[in-house]
Amino acid sequence: MAAEHIIKSYDEELGRLNKMIVEMGGLAESQLASAIEAVAKRDSELASRVIEGDAQVDELERELDNLALRLFALRQPMARDLREIFAALKIGSDLERICDYAANVAKRSIALAQTPPIQPVHALPRMATLALAMIKDVIDAYVEKDADKALAVWRRDEELDEMYSSLFREFLTYMMEDPRNIGPCTHLLFMAKNIERVGDHATNIAEDLYYLVHGTPLTEVRPKGDKSSLEVVGPDRAGAR
Amino acid sequence: MNGSLARSMTTTSETPTQNGPAAAVTPFPAKVQIRDVGFYYGKFHALKNVSLSLRDRRVTAFIGPSGCGKSTLLRILNRIYELYPGQVATGEVLVDGQNILAPGLDLNLVRAKIGMVFQKPTPFPMSIHDNIAFGIKLYERLSKSELDDRVESALRRAALWDEVKDKLRQSGLGLSGGQQQRLCIARAIAVQPEILLLDEPASALDPISTQRIEELITELKSDYCIAIVTHNMQQAARSSDYTAFMYLGELVEFDETERIFTHPRERRTEDYITGRFG
Repeated sequence: MAAEHIIKSYDEELGRLNKMIVEMGGLAESQLASAIEAVAKRDSELASRVIEGDAQVDELERELDNLALRLFALRQPMARDLREIFAALKIGSDLERICDYAANVAKRSIALAQTPPIQPVHALPRMATLALAMIKDVIDAYVEKDADKALAVWRRDEELDEMYSSLFREFLTYMMEDPRNIGPCTHLLFMAKNIERVGDHATNIAEDLYYLVHGTPLTEVRPKGDKSSLEVVGPDRAGAR
Repeated sequence: MNGSLARSMTTTSETPTQNGPAAAVTPFPAKVQIRDVGFYYGKFHALKNVSLSLRDRRVTAFIGPSGCGKSTLLRILNRIYELYPGQVATGEVLVDGQNILAPGLDLNLVRAKIGMVFQKPTPFPMSIHDNIAFGIKLYERLSKSELDDRVESALRRAALWDEVKDKLRQSGLGLSGGQQQRLCIARAIAVQPEILLLDEPASALDPISTQRIEELITELKSDYCIAIVTHNMQQAARSSDYTAFMYLGELVEFDETERIFTHPRERRTEDYITGRFG
């Protein structure tokens, strides 16, 4: 690690910034995990707690922004210090967004719990497990300032995208089978999309971390696994002909 | 007189290397090429194998802790060190391709081409007008009106004219510190040099005067090759195009200013600019 600053309070402030990111990362992880649990167990009470918990993350992000601005104004950071504060700001906003997605999943789980249980719900936790692991690993990478670890997370997003694509097709099939599935499956589709977006934010964090460590942006082209936005499916195509 | 040192704008065009600093960005040629320069204060080896180029119409900042050799390097560029016994420079400093460290060179012509401003404002104990006119009269014979024009244009160029135009006959010593420093810059540019060396030009000034000087540096670089030594890293970051970090008489890193202050290549540079120097 880098040597200490001559001015000790500068180190303390940077340390606090790091701690806040880790705290936000932990919250993002637990919020998403609870939201998925609420979906799987049809637990609307848990879902409500996730929705309420979102305010805490927003508050943390505001604190983080204030601290970062303070550091910019009072310390005039340079080089790695500058990149560290800049990255913290961006990572903070990605984590806040992840928590928004978790709250969104929780909201839809309440609506979903009011319809009869359907089979495809079980595919969602599998996807979430991967997204959760990505958050955990990218935060671990952040703690260790390990760009290689970040890169590994960045590459894993392809897998998540592929899972989303296959879920997308699966949900479409259910909807075509029985119009009564359209309501719940639409909620599930949005939830799956939310989780897929969580993965995108985790890769953003990995990119920010890479920049923090190396000072150059990650320019490699990321493999894309999600082809669902190119997909056209209709009853006439899938059935009649 | 040495004809090849005539004040022409022709410069040795040094093809920027593909990997060198700002290779793609600037078309400006190297005005000053410092090649393997060393310096001794008696037995003390103050500067070791320094090589870098100062580009024309660009600002190059020298930063580094006290005693790193940055002021020494600046003093070599106009051979001021020769005023002191026991000080010896080695290597070459090419200005427009001409080695100014070579023996037998007309020192006055070197200095006419290279203006210098110091940390402490050093106006002559004479009127504002004469402070500027003094240097001009050493090199050129001008009519009174021509001389007045030159004085005015130098003061305007140094962003001081509006403040002193009604008191040109008053003593330069009566001005504020910031004004005195701008007077010194006006004096330096009045003899129409091509290179300006600024040794901590704003370190004795208040923040507003400092910003005036920095703004002035930015203005002046359209006409000059400027080298500035500063302890104020924000100042280097704000006002220079290239930055050289020196430590213990060596050039540690030289690159575009933006690169130096966002992600320097050398650990020692990083530690210095982020305030981690042990």
